[in-house]
Amino acid sequence: MSPLWSLALTPLPLAGAVLLKRAWDGPSPNRPGFILGGWGLLVIAIAASVPLMGPARGPFAVLAVGSTAALVLVAAGVEHRNARKKAARELAPEPSDRRRVVWRGWLRGFLAGPLAGVAALGCGLAVAICAPGQIQSRMVIGGLMVPFLWAGGMAWTLSDDKILRAFAVLAGVAVATLGAAFLKGAL
Amino acid sequence: MDGSTAAAPAKPAKATGKPIWPKVPAEFVRAMLAGHSALGLAFAALIYLVCFSGSIAVFTYEYGRWEQPAGPVLHAVTPQAADAAFREVLAKNPKAHDLFLRLPEPAYPRLSVHGDDPQGGEHTWFADASGRLAGEQKTPWSEFQAELHTVLHLPRAWGGFIVGLTGVALLSSLVSGVLSHPRVFKDAFAFRWGGSKRLQEADLHNRISVWGLPFHLVVSLTGAFLGLTVIIVGVLALATFKGDTSKAYALFRGPTVEDDPRPAAKVIDIAAAITNLKTRYPNARPTYVFIEHPGESGQHAGVNLVTEGRLSRGETVVVDGAGQVLGEVGYESGSVGLRVLSTMTPLHFGWFGGWPVKVAYLLLGLGLTAVTSSGVAIWLARRRDKGRPAPRWERVWIAFVWSQPAAYAFSALIALFSPATPVVAVWGLATLAACASAIVGTPVGISLALRRISAGLLALVAVAHASLHFAAMADPAGWIVDAALLGTAAILAASTLKALRRAEA
Repeated sequence: MSPLWSLALTPLPLAGAVLLKRAWDGPSPNRPGFILGGWGLLVIAIAASVPLMGPARGPFAVLAVGSTAALVLVAAGVEHRNARKKAARELAPEPSDRRRVVWRGWLRGFLAGPLAGVAALGCGLAVAICAPGQIQSRMVIGGLMVPFLWAGGMAWTLSDDKILRAFAVLAGVAVATLGAAFLKGAL
Repeated sequence: MDGSTAAAPAKPAKATGKPIWPKVPAEFVRAMLAGHSALGLAFAALIYLVCFSGSIAVFTYEYGRWEQPAGPVLHAVTPQAADAAFREVLAKNPKAHDLFLRLPEPAYPRLSVHGDDPQGGEHTWFADASGRLAGEQKTPWSEFQAELHTVLHLPRAWGGFIVGLTGVALLSSLVSGVLSHPRVFKDAFAFRWGGSKRLQEADLHNRISVWGLPFHLVVSLTGAFLGLTVIIVGVLALATFKGDTSKAYALFRGPTVEDDPRPAAKVIDIAAAITNLKTRYPNARPTYVFIEHPGESGQHAGVNLVTEGRLSRGETVVVDGAGQVLGEVGYESGSVGLRVLSTMTPLHFGWFGGWPVKVAYLLLGLGLTAVTSSGVAIWLARRRDKGRPAPRWERVWIAFVWSQPAAYAFSALIALFSPATPVVAVWGLATLAACASAIVGTPVGISLALRRISAGLLALVAVAHASLHFAAMADPAGWIVDAALLGTAAILAASTLKALRRAEA
C-alpha cells in the first residue's frame, strides 16, 4: 500500500495548483487567500507524506507525482492561438549580442569546461580533506559539491562578458583549494 | 529556459500589485540567456540522448521481465532455495571469484544468480522456487538501454565521465535558465499553442522547466554525481592515497575480510546467513547477496536488506564464511555521507516509491527531453525570425529528435527475433538512417514520417512480443509493457493526424 500513498495524496498538490491558478487568472479580493491556500496545500501534502511514506521517501515521492499532476493541469489549460492572427506582444528579451572573436570563444569554453571543473574539484577535495567530520561524510558532501559548483561556474563563465575576471577567479580558486588539499594530503 | 515568453500576454494586461520578486536587470537577463543558449546548443544532442534514455531506463526491471516473461515468477523464496541456487551455480565454476545472488522483490520477481564460467564468460541463471536452475537470463535489449544511459556504450570510465559532464551541463542550464527567466512564477500557467513557432516552443520549454524543476534538479545533480564518481574518487585518491583508488572505495565497503585463498572446510551457508539476518532485522527484506571468494577460507558475503519506507538502496550486512555477522556498511545506520550516498541511485532512477513514482519519473523525464528539444527549436526559430534561418540544422535537429523512438523500437524488434545481434549496432544504424532523412525532407515532413514509423514499429514490437510469448506469459509485466507500447504507438499516431490537419488548415 505504501507506494500508493503518493497517489492518494496527489489531489492535495493538484488542488493547490488549482488555487494558485485561480490566483494567477486575475485580480480578485480572494487572491491572497488562493495563494496562501495553494502553497498551504502543497506543504500539507509533503508533511502528510512523512508519516505515510517515510521522512525522505514521502516528500520526494509527493514532489515527483505532484509536479506531474501540476503539469497535467497546465497542459489542460492550453490556450490555442490563431496561427494567422499576429498577437500583440511586448518585446521578449534577447540574448546579448557578443562580438564573435575566436580566441574568446575558445577561452570561454576552456573556462566553462576544464577550468571550472578543476576549480570545483578543488573545492570538493578541500572539503573532503580539510573539513571537520567523519571521512565518508566529508567525501560525499565534497563530491556532491563538485557537480553543483562546476555547473555554477559554467553558467557564470558562459554569461559573464568580463572573461578575464572569470579566468582570474577560477584559476585562483583552483590553485588555493587544490593547494590546500594536496598540502594537507591526508584524510 | 528561454525568455521568449517573458512578455507574451495573451490576455489583456492584468492590474496587479507590486511584484514580490526583485526586478532583474535586463542586461543580466540578456547575458544569462546568451550563456544558456551557448551551453544548451553545445550539449543539446548529448543532453537529449541522456534524458531520453534515462526516461526509458526508469523501467529497466520491467523490460527485463518483459523480455523473458516465462519466469519462473517468484514473489518470495525460502533461504534454502536461495542457497541451493547459489550452490548449483558455484558447482559450474568452483573457482568463481564472486557470485551475485538476487532474491525476488516486487520490482523484479525472480530468483537469479550471476557469475562467470571457467572461461571467464559472464552468465545469469534463473532458478525456480526450489532453487533449481531453470534457464539462463537473456535480456539483451534491457541491458542495451541501461548501458546506453549510464555509459553510452563507451568504456566505463569514459562513458561515465561524459554522462556525468552532461549532467553538469544540464544542471548549469537549469541555473542559467532560472536566472534568465525573471517571470518564472508569473507566467507559470501560461501555456499557449499555435501562432508563432518560437513562442509556442518557448511556452512548452518554460512551463515544463518550471513545474518539473524539483525533479530536474534532483536527477541532474544525482546523475552528475554518479557519473563523475570515478574522477572524483580518482583525484581524491591521488591527493590522499598516492593514487590507490581501492583505499578510497574501501571507506564505503564496511567490515573487511582478509583475502585467504586456502580452501575452506565448507562453503558459506547462505540459507543460515539469511535466516539469521531475518531474525536480527525483522522489518527488512533481503534483496541480494554478494558472495566473494566462495569456497576459500576468506569467503564472505554482503547481504543487502531493504526496509520499507526508507529512501535508500538498503543496508548491507557483511557475514563471514562461518556465518558470523561482522557488521553493517552503514548505508542506513552510518554517517550522514553514507546515508546520502545510499539515496543517490533510487533518487536518480525513481526506484523508491513504487509504480506511481516510476510513471511520474517517466513523464517528467520525457518532459525534460522535450525541454531540450524545444530549446534548440527556439534557437532555430529565433534565427528564422531574425532573417538568418538555418534550414539544414532545422532538418537535422528534428530528424535526430524523432530518431530515438524509432531506433529504440527498431532495436527492440530485432532483439526479439535475433537476441544474438548486437543491439547497440542496430540502434546506431537505425539512428543514422533516421538522421539521414534530414537530407531529403522538410522539418514537418521528417517529424511526421519518423513519428509514424515509430508508432508502427512500437505496435509491431508489442504484437510480435505477444505472439512469441503468448503461451508462456507467466509474468503480467509482459502484457502490461505490450499494452503500454500499443498505447504509446496510438498516441504517436494520433499526434501525426492532428499535425496533418493543422498543416492542411
